Amino acid sequence: MSKRIFLPALFLIAAFLPGMAQGSDTSADFMRSMGKMYVVVTAIGIIFLGIVVFLIFLDRKLTKLEKQTKQND
Amino acid sequence: MQLIREIAFLLHKEWTLELRQKYALGGILLYVLSTVYVVYISFVKIDPDHWNTLFWIIILFASVNAVTRSFTQEHSSRQLYYYTLANPIAVLLAKILYNFLLLVFLSLLTLGAYSLVAGYPIRQLTPFIWAIALGSLGFSIALTFVSAIASKASNASTLMAILSLPLLIPILATVIRLAKTGFIPRAGVEVPIKGDLYILAGIDMLLLGAALILFSFLWRE
Amino acid sequence: MIKKHFWKALAVLILLYTFIAGLLVPLKPGIVEMDPRTVQSGRNISFKVKGYNTHYMNSDIRAWLKMDEDHVLAASPILIQNDRDLKLIFGIPPFLPTTDKTQNFTLIIDSPVDGVHLLPNAVFVSQDSVNLALASLQWPPERITDLHEKAGITFPFRNILAETIRNIYFHVPMWFAMILLFLGAVIYSGRFLWKKNMQDDQRAASMIRTGVLFGILGLLTGAVWAKNTWGAYWSGDIKQNMTAICLLIYLAYFVLRQAYEDPDHRARVSAVYALFAFFAMIPLLFVIPRLTDSLHPGNGGNPALGGEDLDNTMRLVFYPAVFGWFLMGLWIAQLNFRIERLRERRLEEE
Repeated sequence: MSKRIFLPALFLIAAFLPGMAQGSDTSADFMRSMGKMYVVVTAIGIIFLGIVVFLIFLDRKLTKLEKQTKQND
Repeated sequence: MQLIREIAFLLHKEWTLELRQKYALGGILLYVLSTVYVVYISFVKIDPDHWNTLFWIIILFASVNAVTRSFTQEHSSRQLYYYTLANPIAVLLAKILYNFLLLVFLSLLTLGAYSLVAGYPIRQLTPFIWAIALGSLGFSIALTFVSAIASKASNASTLMAILSLPLLIPILATVIRLAKTGFIPRAGVEVPIKGDLYILAGIDMLLLGAALILFSFLWRE
Repeated sequence: MIKKHFWKALAVLILLYTFIAGLLVPLKPGIVEMDPRTVQSGRNISFKVKGYNTHYMNSDIRAWLKMDEDHVLAASPILIQNDRDLKLIFGIPPFLPTTDKTQNFTLIIDSPVDGVHLLPNAVFVSQDSVNLALASLQWPPERITDLHEKAGITFPFRNILAETIRNIYFHVPMWFAMILLFLGAVIYSGRFLWKKNMQDDQRAASMIRTGVLFGILGLLTGAVWAKNTWGAYWSGDIKQNMTAICLLIYLAYFVLRQAYEDPDHRARVSAVYALFAFFAMIPLLFVIPRLTDSLHPGNGGNPALGGEDLDNTMRLVFYPAVFGWFLMGLWIAQLNFRIERLRERRLEEE
């Protein structure tokens, strides 16, 4: 399961990233608006994403183990 | 006393081994010379700051290459024979001492070759010599120990570089700083090098202590 | 059941508290902009001032330009345009009470609602010639009195930081949690060499893996924050470099683990490397700070935060955040450890 979802998800992120990076002027303004609150939001987003990616990594490890266990039984 | 005798014996053994495989030492020398020449070709004229940094980077990589062999080159049967006889601390100290002498020799040789082609901006030799001595000692301790860690792996030389380079950064940074004082003309005021010397000596002692404590855990097979 | 898992609940509760408090407590009012920033002495000049989190409307506002305790210039008149915009008119005397050609002034604004807030180095005033005698006549001694305090719980306002000061609760604890996890790994590595228990090796590896995750997150969040306050993603700052070196060392640790097939040999070698790397990192704390200045608060490379950068209100959120993220790291590391242990057991059965 994981590979089938994981790869498209990566592609999706890869497709969105250039869009986010485009027009650095406007995104800089965006980051600077409202007392730069979006910098904090981005930081929290990064932490959240990082932990999610790590969970996916753990999930895949467990899936592999489960498969091995099933084969043995 | 016993320890010193063992170290002397093992040092002698290292040297005979080195003589038996002259190509290894020759390879390192050639490596140093060609790197120096490449630096010269790509820069032609080098200002002192870059001169200094490049010099130490050449030394860094030459050292990694030179020390990698110290534990990997030996066949395990012979190793077993020597080292059942000797105290592991003597083994480590002998290797560190041997590599230290090798690195000092390499550094002086590099200094000579490098000065010949890339100019000689050093105004005061004392800090530079101190940098070479203490830097080589630190490199030798860290690299010898890491080579002992990496020796049994399949791709020891790559592993060696990966493991040791981050560990060498503090020594490298301090050595570059210390060596830089050598470019100040002698006529100026006394250059304060004591702080850096103490730091370098402190790092060397720390690494030596850690290596001595941890080596016995590595050695017990 | 509850006893065994209470620390995980504690981690969640603490982090919940830091998220809520860290995001919802408002900033103190502050001054964002003053225009113009450089003026000539001897004129009546009208300045545009932009406040942040301020409530200027229908408020009894006073404003001063302050050089030092004895030399203060009050604004009059003060035109309030809306809650965030003011127009201040200062009559600056021709001569300044200083021997310098240019003098910087701090702008101080006080209102009963927002309390006192200021902008350091707000204006640079230059004078054509120096005349201390005339200046002392033109600058009658005046003192700022009856300042107000903003009521309620707030975080300090810093001009370049603004709201990003809240990142202290999210970015900095990553770094602390990383260090604490690496320390834990060092302890378990040492215990492995002492007792030769394979579980200790796996515990150490799991802690390092989690520590590396936190290190990477710390670097990334730090990069975004740095881009928006210092102007570049990577400024080669000490703490950035130190974290980068830490990560290199511990990534090498995983390469080392991959290189050895035999579990016993791998465990011994990686424990020895983890301990040796720990000793080799100690000089980093003393060496690199000597090389350059840090952009980070707390003088060069000092992991502690200076008293000025962290006021008591922030401490109430920051320290729990560090503890909460550390517990969270332990939890993640424990999950990782349990999976590794299962895998080892499978390998043994086969």
